[in-house]
Amino acid sequence: MSLTTLLAAMPGAISQGVIWGIMAIGVYITYKVLDFSDLTVDGSICTGAAVCVVLMINGVSLPIAMVAAVAAGMLTGLVTGLFHTFMGIPAILAGILTQLSLYSVNLKIMGKANQAINARNYDLLVSMQKLRNVPFYENTIFIVLLFSAVMIAVLYWFFGTEAGCSLRATGSNLNMSRAQGINTNFNKVLGLMISNGIVALAGALLAQYQGFAEVQMGRGAIVIGLAAVIIGEALFGKIFRNFALRMVSVILGGIVYYIVYQTVILFGLDPDLLKMLSALVVATFLAVPHWKNKWFAKPAKKGGTDHA
Amino acid sequence: MKKVLALVLVAMMMLGSVCAVAEDTTYTIGICQLVQHVALDAATQGFRDAITEVLGDKVVFDEKNAFGDSPTCATIVNGFVSANVDLILANATPALQAAASASYDIPILGTSVTEYGVALEIPDFTGVVGYNVSGTSDLAPLDQQAAMIVELFPEAKNVGLLFCSSEPNSAYQVKVVAEELAKVGITTKDFPFSDLNDVAAVTTAACEFSDVIYVPTDNTVASATGIVDGVCRPAGVPIIAGEEGICSGCGVATLSISYYDLGYATGLMALRILVDGEDITKMPIEYAPNFTKKYNEEISAEFGVTIPEDYIAIGAEEEAEAAEEGETAEGTEAAEESEPAAE
Repeated sequence: MSLTTLLAAMPGAISQGVIWGIMAIGVYITYKVLDFSDLTVDGSICTGAAVCVVLMINGVSLPIAMVAAVAAGMLTGLVTGLFHTFMGIPAILAGILTQLSLYSVNLKIMGKANQAINARNYDLLVSMQKLRNVPFYENTIFIVLLFSAVMIAVLYWFFGTEAGCSLRATGSNLNMSRAQGINTNFNKVLGLMISNGIVALAGALLAQYQGFAEVQMGRGAIVIGLAAVIIGEALFGKIFRNFALRMVSVILGGIVYYIVYQTVILFGLDPDLLKMLSALVVATFLAVPHWKNKWFAKPAKKGGTDHA
Repeated sequence: MKKVLALVLVAMMMLGSVCAVAEDTTYTIGICQLVQHVALDAATQGFRDAITEVLGDKVVFDEKNAFGDSPTCATIVNGFVSANVDLILANATPALQAAASASYDIPILGTSVTEYGVALEIPDFTGVVGYNVSGTSDLAPLDQQAAMIVELFPEAKNVGLLFCSSEPNSAYQVKVVAEELAKVGITTKDFPFSDLNDVAAVTTAACEFSDVIYVPTDNTVASATGIVDGVCRPAGVPIIAGEEGICSGCGVATLSISYYDLGYATGLMALRILVDGEDITKMPIEYAPNFTKKYNEEISAEFGVTIPEDYIAIGAEEEAEAAEEGETAEGTEAAEESEPAAE
């Protein structure tokens, strides 16, 4: 393997990174904005993929199939939200329950564990096939970047509206929001629906990209999503303070994650160590800001009480 | 922060350059295997042996494992396409699907894939894919497996079908076997489990219902034979397995294809493409060269099953082969000995 091979592999790594980055924006909305650890994503990414693929092989046009995938994803978020707010189940458990039941739901949607979507039979939006030798507006990287740009713009607009602001308030201070007359339960459910809709969109893109949907495909998705959020924040947190730019940094985090992953795979590190390496990459990016705060932050001045 | 990343990347590149030796060879073959387990490992080994026998050190294998994480297959084959390998071996269905969507010109051979028509979504599949994909199917004759249940356990009335619901190949095999058994008046019932955690509970339920349990070529059961054996033997319910690896762990008998032979046959196809320049678009899917009735000596003795003459004890054949051929059988044996230990 040479450096040229690594460079040639970049378009694929970047596309996959952006697709997972889109998913990570969904994770960002729950994990950072709403302060809700939502584990539904491991299931809802596959729900999006399954709905999109099954509709397409049954002759539904691509845009409708993608919209349906997003709608299905939002439905999974609704379920988790109701588990949490209506039934009073703790956040993490509510996500795990939905994720677990989605395994069965996804199996029923596809009718089997693995459904192919062959790029030769359909005019897919994104595909590993469309990384090279296609006009730029059909290039997978261009399409996925366009998707993320439009999505970030819409989300930026939404979180500036009154509804969006109250959603953010719910995440930052639950009790205060309630005191201000915000319906926090409604906002939690809304946030989960938006998040899982985005995750399902990423699933629909991923299934097209890799040519199949599979019940196991979401396994560990939450880790990749968190990794993208954390890597993006660690690398660009200092420069990107604006909300829209923070979402851009999540996408960039996804790209970095997949470039590292692709490099690890290309250079043939012992495959037995692959899972451990993924965990180490996340752990490293999580640890660095922590250490920085601990050892390099300026100590707070003593004697503040004098001025009190 | 960028420095940390750069450091990580540089460290990986250095490690990589240590791993990668001998660049100036005639052929590079990328192998993408979905997950590590006995059958798939044996197929990869057979493939490599067949090619190495002819090409010797004129071939470099780039062997990658996705560890059961199917989206990783896409990352792996993206690497192969970028390196412009001469041929891709896709071991198991998601690997094949990812490879088929990654490249329209690099020859792709599949192995351990049961149904190519289903895997590649080709309606009215005729046996020839027609583009840069061909390979070998691990479909064992299911009607004969059903007949084996009747032959060994003529008094069986209820047969439980134990498999993992996330494996399309298993669901397909179970369906066909159930139809075959229904023809001879045997009642069947599906016992699907969703992952390793459910194996023990579902197997216990299956034992309640069944006189005999049938297990298809299921990857999850293959890695949990110890659990299945621990439930079924005390319950006194024998198992007929779809594949040798499973049978050696928990089964009484199996009609087995050798994944090593299957991989070997795939290797021969690769040679026809690389060396003889045969056109992959015209090559039909090939099946396992031979089937063998095999039995597990220890377990069948415990159940007191009378094994007919034409069955071979698992392990016996490999010993004979090893004595005969020496090197080639090593791969199979090594693969079989490394049976994942189930807790």
